[in-house]
Amino acid sequence: MNPQFLMDGLIAGAMIGLGAIGVTLTYSILRFANFAHGELLSWGAYLALALSGGLGLLSTTLSMPIGPFSFGWSLPLATILAIILTGLLALAVDAVLFGRLRSRGSAVIILVMASFGVSLALRSLLEFIFTSKPAYYTKALQIAVKIGGGLRATPDQLLSLGVALVAVVAIHLLMTRTDIGRSMRAVSENPALAGIAGVDVRRVIRVVWFIGAALACIAGIMTGLLVQIRPYLGHDLLLPLFAAAILGGIGSVPGAMIAGLIVGLSEAAAVQLVGAEWRAAVSFVILVAVLLLRPRGLFGRAA
Amino acid sequence: MSLDLIAYAAFFLTMALTYAIMCLGLNVQWGQTGLFNVGIAAFVAIGAYVSALLTTPDAAGRVGGYDLPIAVGWIGGALVAGLAAWLVGALTIRLRSDYLAIATFGVAVTVQLCVLNLQPLTGGAFGIGFIPRPFGNLASDPLAFGLSNLALMAAVVLALYLALQHLAKSPWGRVLRAIREDETAAQALGKRPIRFRLQAFTIGGAIMGLAGAAQGHFIGFIAPDNYLPILTFQVWAMLIVGGSGNNRGAILGAVLVWGLWALSAAAVSAFVPPEQQARAASLQIVMIGVGLCLILLLRPRGILGASNALASLTGRRTRKFKE
Amino acid sequence: MTVPALQTLALAAGYEPDLPIVRGVDLSVAPGELLVLLGPNGAGKSTLVKAIAGVVPVHSGNVLLGTRDITHIAAHGKIGEGLAFVPQTENIFATLSIHENLQLAAAVLPRSRRGEKIASLYQRFPDLATKSSRPAGTLSGGQRQMLAVARALIIDPRVLILDEPSAGLSPKIVAEVFSMLKEINADGVTIILVEQNVKAALAIASRAVILVEGKIRHEGAASTLLGDPIIAKLYLGTSQPQEAQQP
Repeated sequence: MNPQFLMDGLIAGAMIGLGAIGVTLTYSILRFANFAHGELLSWGAYLALALSGGLGLLSTTLSMPIGPFSFGWSLPLATILAIILTGLLALAVDAVLFGRLRSRGSAVIILVMASFGVSLALRSLLEFIFTSKPAYYTKALQIAVKIGGGLRATPDQLLSLGVALVAVVAIHLLMTRTDIGRSMRAVSENPALAGIAGVDVRRVIRVVWFIGAALACIAGIMTGLLVQIRPYLGHDLLLPLFAAAILGGIGSVPGAMIAGLIVGLSEAAAVQLVGAEWRAAVSFVILVAVLLLRPRGLFGRAA
Repeated sequence: MSLDLIAYAAFFLTMALTYAIMCLGLNVQWGQTGLFNVGIAAFVAIGAYVSALLTTPDAAGRVGGYDLPIAVGWIGGALVAGLAAWLVGALTIRLRSDYLAIATFGVAVTVQLCVLNLQPLTGGAFGIGFIPRPFGNLASDPLAFGLSNLALMAAVVLALYLALQHLAKSPWGRVLRAIREDETAAQALGKRPIRFRLQAFTIGGAIMGLAGAAQGHFIGFIAPDNYLPILTFQVWAMLIVGGSGNNRGAILGAVLVWGLWALSAAAVSAFVPPEQQARAASLQIVMIGVGLCLILLLRPRGILGASNALASLTGRRTRKFKE
Repeated sequence: MTVPALQTLALAAGYEPDLPIVRGVDLSVAPGELLVLLGPNGAGKSTLVKAIAGVVPVHSGNVLLGTRDITHIAAHGKIGEGLAFVPQTENIFATLSIHENLQLAAAVLPRSRRGEKIASLYQRFPDLATKSSRPAGTLSGGQRQMLAVARALIIDPRVLILDEPSAGLSPKIVAEVFSMLKEINADGVTIILVEQNVKAALAIASRAVILVEGKIRHEGAASTLLGDPIIAKLYLGTSQPQEAQQP
């Protein structure tokens, strides 16, 4: 077996992990499985595409590749704007739909169903605007460099791994060391008591949407950069995201990242052993195994 | 001309009725039990492929092809789809309500993958052809063929409708309703909610399998593309429009939404230039998604709505604060 | 006459919009009082204090804290007004450490005052200080109650409301909790206490209010209520007049 699959699995796993952190946070605090989370990845990727395209038109120097990477400054700049816009998109959907259903005291499953409708609408809207033809941030080709141990990776891939690592550490510190992180954990355990203890639950919910969407946006852009941008980009990652969030234990940030890497590496191993056409089934197998053996996941608390 | 029109109407209605069967299956799961299934397409596909394998003539390079009677195929399809539903349900129904949704989503992805990749069994991307059609001996007379198929499908829907109505009024249906209204009270009465939910989910899955088998035999040809997630969305739209919990609404919703879908698709192909048709089709789906959300927000009882199943779930529930 | 620390004016409240459980309560609590709310099961005691704390919807009427109308301020906003509430069950965050429980509540204070405030509470509850980094879920019943009260005290509340703090505790621990409440009250904090444990509650209370079917049926000094055989029999579930005793 070619050890290169480790590198591929690590990179895919990092993207799944980032997305899964968003799923696990929104799941534990909003208390429903958001089927539209995948679409936040896709929207993040397309928003960055449109914005970096726009910036490239403004100034051609912005689209000149930076150092060893395949993209120019227009992409990092667009990423920052796209993160904000994706966050605002999530907040807008919550304001018009989920928030209203919540304040009405709707059952969890109604929120799940609404998220299903949102995912359909958002995905097809992307298809309508950008068509289903794959798009790319850059046409530049990249050459994989040797990084030791017989492994190769492109500079873009290494950068993505670095960004994922920084993002995970940052979110972990936010959750454990800051007021807002503590409030988020409190709301996740008991929203009514959090209110009594002085936590503004609605503000916490807005922060969670924004963070989840921001991470989704970063994961979407990374996927778009390393693979390609398609309207189904996020939808196709949704099952791996759910599998990683549940495997890691709902609410656990490190759990989601570790589980994301496990899912990514298992997929890469399956591609080697069984064949690429079965990659998408790996998450399902993992999901079934977790639900069967340890429904609360690796790091989750007992329900 | 008018005979052609009748033949077309018969074809359209027969198709709509196959969706009505799926909708009735979903109604047992969601409308009567509150179980959210995001993998309808998977159960329909299982029914269609199993029935096709049982009834098609032997073909070179493909497993199956047992050349059995159509009725055997229908029953086999329903049984295997029911078994799949039972497995998924047994795994997840005891867990949080949305784990079932996630699991069914996984089933949909996986079944689609199997159908595409298990070429010796399913014919891969090309699917399975030469599925025997009911009243195939009348195929030379489109009108008689169409009308007899319509009559058959209508009879199936009617029988299913009567059976489900009977079931809803039976002690079993009453327990199901009691569980939906107040799980703890039902539990206190000695009913085991998990077992009843699992039974309802299995029955619903089997009915979806039957629908898949019936549809496959009516068209005579099946391929993976027929069982994409969009099918799941369509059936949901049908049930929500018809008003969940209500069997008559489920049938009516299926005919109505299928009619709207076919009509708007026809309009798209007639009025939209060919290079823009894919875009227009995606706008069609945006509308289904937005419509689903709007109904949840504004008309939780459905457009024709008669039942309060969905309404009781969207209504004011502050139970968690109760003493 | 001084302004009451807290009063409700014709307050009606309940979980369902058409089903009031509290039905027109005029309650007035003087500054520095330790008021105990008594009454049979289902009388609406718990609902009344939850409505005051903003956890149960108010249908009509008003809640005044001092002269300020706080009826429609959300639960978390009432903390800022100086009203603290300790629910009966699940009143601590079991997955957060003891220190984090206190930090969470201290977040409403200016940053400069948080550390000193938490330190002063550790002084008052030394049991909590020794276990500060442990998950709160590992505490015993009595310690949980201490933590819940400490959490409520962080804001130096003007009014502290407790919903059955003695529930599920052994008599020895109940005595500890009640003596702690008496100390807090002696420091000038107005306390409203919902209790089933009539004898112990009346022993520390200055005044008692008896709620029946969502309305106030009786009120008076704790000592008189204890001495009234009819009231004792009807509402307090005891046939013998109780003697006030200091814990």
